[in-house]
Amino acid sequence: MRFQFSDEDQRFREECRDWLEDNIPREKRPLNAVDAVDFDRAWQRRLFDAGWAGINWPSEYGGRGLPIVRQVIWLEEYARAHAPWIGSNFVGINHGGPTLILNASEEQKAWHLPRILKGESIWCQGFSEPGAGSDLAGIKTKARIEGDELVVNGSKIWTSYAQVADWQELVLRTEEGSQRHKGLSWVICDMRSPGITVRPIQKISGQTEFAQVFYDDVRIPLANVVGGLGNGWKVAMSTLSFERGTGFIGEQVKLSQDIEELLDSARASGRLGEADIAEQIAQLRAEVFALRAMTYRNISEVARTGQPGPEASVIRLFSSDLRQRIERLAIALAGETVLDFRYGDDDFITDYLLGFAVTIAGGSAQIQRDIIGERLLGLPKSR
Amino acid sequence: MDLTPNEDQLALQGATADWCSDNMPLEQCRARPAGTWRQMGEMGWLDMTGPAMGLDHGTEALIFAELGRFLAPVAALSTAVYRRWTGTEGKAALAIASLQAVRVADPDGASVALGVADGRALLYGLPDALDAAPGLDLSSPLALLPGAAAPQPVQDGRAAAHLRLLAAAYAVGCADAARDMGAAYACTREQFDRPIGWFQSIKHICADMAVRASVARSQLYYAASALDADDASADMHIAAAKRLADQAALENSRANIQIHGGIGMTDEAYPHLCLKRAHLLGFVAKAGREALLQ
Repeated sequence: MRFQFSDEDQRFREECRDWLEDNIPREKRPLNAVDAVDFDRAWQRRLFDAGWAGINWPSEYGGRGLPIVRQVIWLEEYARAHAPWIGSNFVGINHGGPTLILNASEEQKAWHLPRILKGESIWCQGFSEPGAGSDLAGIKTKARIEGDELVVNGSKIWTSYAQVADWQELVLRTEEGSQRHKGLSWVICDMRSPGITVRPIQKISGQTEFAQVFYDDVRIPLANVVGGLGNGWKVAMSTLSFERGTGFIGEQVKLSQDIEELLDSARASGRLGEADIAEQIAQLRAEVFALRAMTYRNISEVARTGQPGPEASVIRLFSSDLRQRIERLAIALAGETVLDFRYGDDDFITDYLLGFAVTIAGGSAQIQRDIIGERLLGLPKSR
Repeated sequence: MDLTPNEDQLALQGATADWCSDNMPLEQCRARPAGTWRQMGEMGWLDMTGPAMGLDHGTEALIFAELGRFLAPVAALSTAVYRRWTGTEGKAALAIASLQAVRVADPDGASVALGVADGRALLYGLPDALDAAPGLDLSSPLALLPGAAAPQPVQDGRAAAHLRLLAAAYAVGCADAARDMGAAYACTREQFDRPIGWFQSIKHICADMAVRASVARSQLYYAASALDADDASADMHIAAAKRLADQAALENSRANIQIHGGIGMTDEAYPHLCLKRAHLLGFVAKAGREALLQ
């Protein structure tokens, strides 16, 4: 076991660091989704031109085909340099793209993947519905087949950047009368199609970056189905462990920065002398170390076996809980100043409010515990 | 960077687990057969990082986590450290020193005890006859050391970190044992016409046990490789590993008793053995929070 990186990996890390230092945008990423997307596209294009987009994506689709450890190094340096949040490119880069790599036809991959890497295609997700949250297999949005087209009716919700996205990864019930996981299809939907209405929803932090999407006889070519009609559940699940494991390395580095800042400021203000505060910081710091160790263990597992282990759910559950506890300590230390927060502010209070999402989105903490209990420990399935 | 065990390490880990379940089951930890200690020596577990075997701390921590899973004798911790850093053979009992008293665990056949106080590994000479009897931890006979001569420090400063790392490994094993015992019981015990593990209230307790064990094990691997590299951060990472492993062992043991319900309250069932071992390990080479605030 080695926690150290090889000399070649260290050299790669220095390359990342040097480039980031010279190229990070000086202006702050706008909070408003519509302004933010222009910023995101331009920044993604710069990353692509310099060879930093899709480090571990296959080279035939515009990636660099490097081992996953290089992607980890890049993400660590990216966060360490305080480079901008990936924002509206998150779904394309971290979810839609990897799903296409694993499941799509050559034609679909050749058209979409380079555009995602260049920031030309913004993707959003269409999984959750008003009646299908934790019970994702309860999807009701349906499509009938007419000739070589699907005709879609229904609604999706909690879709981040729906109002600015070009494409959507959309899971639909394509088989009339089908139940649960059967009869679903994973489809690429053009967000500019006639019949789509987007209603932005404001978050508890003030932003309106997610939305409800309505489909009224929306026509999608059958050629946009990925992985075959009726295989939507399998396609959707193929990247969930990715999302729960390596997709959040940047967030983990930020946790490490946050706890170091809390330690420094508690030392400067003298509050580190309070035993309960010192104890909380020591505990959180130990857990942040362990989170990095867990992530490295998971990455090592991927490098050794080609698969992320089932431990990805453990990492997701642990890191989301840890993030919330760090943000709660920051709030506790700030005292009454938190009362001055206004919509439009972008600071640790925004992080605290947005942080409630991490134990809800992408499988709630309760669903993650079900998965750990059933798949890791072999307990009987409840559903 | 690689924080997973390699093929050789996995083979050694598997062989250790097999041997332990055949010869040193957790269920017999209150009264080990006379030959157990000798056999542990023959398996090489007490000399892994010494010059003859030359294995690294990563491998050693992996194996000690397995031993900890079976609540193996605690003198293996102090003896491995004693042999590694003094170059001496023989057994060292485990010393737990407080301001008021020095307690010695597992002293049978030992002429010396090793423990950590004020960040240093110390050696205590033992009188010929120490009257040891089971204390809270029923798997570790315990004696009070009568007003002893001043302890001798172990010269090499790494000895304290080594004991802390191995105790963390034992605690990781203890956390695993409680998790597995709880999950197994949740699969077989039926109420309301189904296994209790079907209910989310029980399932989620088990999932939290799995998280704690996995968190602690990951940090153990990282800390062991930092010690192997003689990295400046090793003490901090070992302190983190010890803290998280102790918490995992204690909290998983408590959860396991809850899952067992009434039977978990009985002396004849096994859950309390993990709890009591976890309490003992918490006092072995304790790391203050200062190490985590550097």
